[in-house]
Amino acid sequence: ASLAAAVDPSNNLASERSSIESTYELTKYLEYQLKEIKDVYLTYLGPPFNEKDFSPPRPNSTALTLPSAATRLELWHGLENQARLAQNQRAYSILLAAVRELARSTLCPSLKTSLLHFCTGLDGLLGSISALMNSLGYSSPLQAAARPTMNDFARKVEGFWILRELQSWLWRSAKDFNRLKKRLRG
Amino acid sequence: MISFMFLLLLAPDVLFSLTHVAVISPQDPILRIGSSLTATCTLTTELGLHAGSLYWTLNGVRLSSSTYRTVSANILTIELHSLNGSQQKSGDNLMCHGPDGRVLAGSCLYVGMPPEKPVNLTCRSHNAKDLSCRWSAGGPGETHIPTKYTLKYKLRWHERENECVSYSVEKQGYSCRISANIALFTPYEIWVEATNQLGSATSDISSLDVLDVVTTDPPANVQVSRIGSLEDQLMVHWTSPPELKDVLFQAKYQIRYRLEDIADWKAVDNVGNLTSCRLAGLKPGTVYFVQVRCNPVGIFGSRKPGIWSDWSHPAAASTPSGDLLHRGSCDPKASGQNSTLRRELKQFFGWVRKHASGCSSVSIKLYDQWRVWLQKSHHQPRNQVQQDNNS
Repeated sequence: ASLAAAVDPSNNLASERSSIESTYELTKYLEYQLKEIKDVYLTYLGPPFNEKDFSPPRPNSTALTLPSAATRLELWHGLENQARLAQNQRAYSILLAAVRELARSTLCPSLKTSLLHFCTGLDGLLGSISALMNSLGYSSPLQAAARPTMNDFARKVEGFWILRELQSWLWRSAKDFNRLKKRLRG
Repeated sequence: MISFMFLLLLAPDVLFSLTHVAVISPQDPILRIGSSLTATCTLTTELGLHAGSLYWTLNGVRLSSSTYRTVSANILTIELHSLNGSQQKSGDNLMCHGPDGRVLAGSCLYVGMPPEKPVNLTCRSHNAKDLSCRWSAGGPGETHIPTKYTLKYKLRWHERENECVSYSVEKQGYSCRISANIALFTPYEIWVEATNQLGSATSDISSLDVLDVVTTDPPANVQVSRIGSLEDQLMVHWTSPPELKDVLFQAKYQIRYRLEDIADWKAVDNVGNLTSCRLAGLKPGTVYFVQVRCNPVGIFGSRKPGIWSDWSHPAAASTPSGDLLHRGSCDPKASGQNSTLRRELKQFFGWVRKHASGCSSVSIKLYDQWRVWLQKSHHQPRNQVQQDNNS
């Protein structure tokens, strides 16, 4: 009986590890895709949004306060697997809704299509993370965020920062998944 | 590890949300090209800033302070005149900055014109199965702000109006494809409505019979072949486009052909309604590219001249090459190699010395004569010719 118990968990972990690997690959791919879309989107917003050193004030909206990719090193290091995954899941679920809204309000049809296509990738990432959490036995509560109304300029600034935050998250997630892979091995 | 130090730096250490610092009025206005606007930047919190120290930018370009007016300690206005059409459809970015350059507030300006009647509305039906229409914007001003176009159509003597959903933007304008339930034998009335925030306009109504605007696929199975050993002729065969093979109409065809390395096409009109044609007057030993297209003129009794299909894929064939004599009279082989030419000229001068007495200068006529002589003596072994020249 104990032998059977010893065999089962390691088998599960093997499939989890390969699932983590493919999720890692997905974040790298989305990071690359985002770079291209970001340039087109910033050109659509018009100058100075597409100028090199432009940095408008960062809005306080939900999508940009919780959760932020930026985190202190020792906190990030010490994250338990469940917390690490939960943070990723929460981030992408909020950012996905935000990018979908960006796409909806984009007036240029080809850019709108590109953004929606990117959203399906993000959705896939979110699905991978949720599936991983389920198979590791973690619960994954999700909540929808309300969207405040704002004027067009404020929406442009928010869009600018959402893409930046998304970039930070994709960059961080790659490291998150690497860390998860190592922790699950030992 | 170092990468996470970077993430620390990204953490926002400021900042105020935009709405808490200053507000620009009006927000997101929609204006006509050439109009004027007075905008106000009102500081809402105590930042220790005076309105006189602020400045404005439009699309990243700083605006001249001669147009500013400090109304009070926390209100700065600007006068914008003769506004140009918006640089991007998402709106021009008007911003109010603190003296250190930081953005305090922003507003999007939409500057354009109400639409003019859409123009150049033309429609085509592919194989009588759909209706694709194209049109252009009536004026330049409407392209600066978001303008929506709707292609509408109805059958004459019927009441119901339909809309063509999801049009696409092309280089030359807009197009929309109606694919469901195309009716024949009753004319359509088609028009385009253009709307934006500044107004709307409707194009003239275009009345058309689908059968007058049918275009088919190009002819199929285009083949080019030699006719025996005839050097200057090729035979072209094709079949009528497959989609309409069950429909009785007399298509007319047109052929065009060109030499392999020359861009200009020669056309053969009046091919009639047969599915083969003999091309004559061609160069021997040459590769030709041939294309065919068709026009369903008179389809189902239509009296219009009809619309030509696209050209078929090119088919190629070569005419048989002529005998040696003919080859000799063609353009000299492009040798481009000095050694060959020099050898030839050396032989030529030798010949001149022998056959043209008192000749110090070479003339083209002599050269021609020598070329003719060379052809005639082509049958003799080369050595003999050389011996003659080197004496």
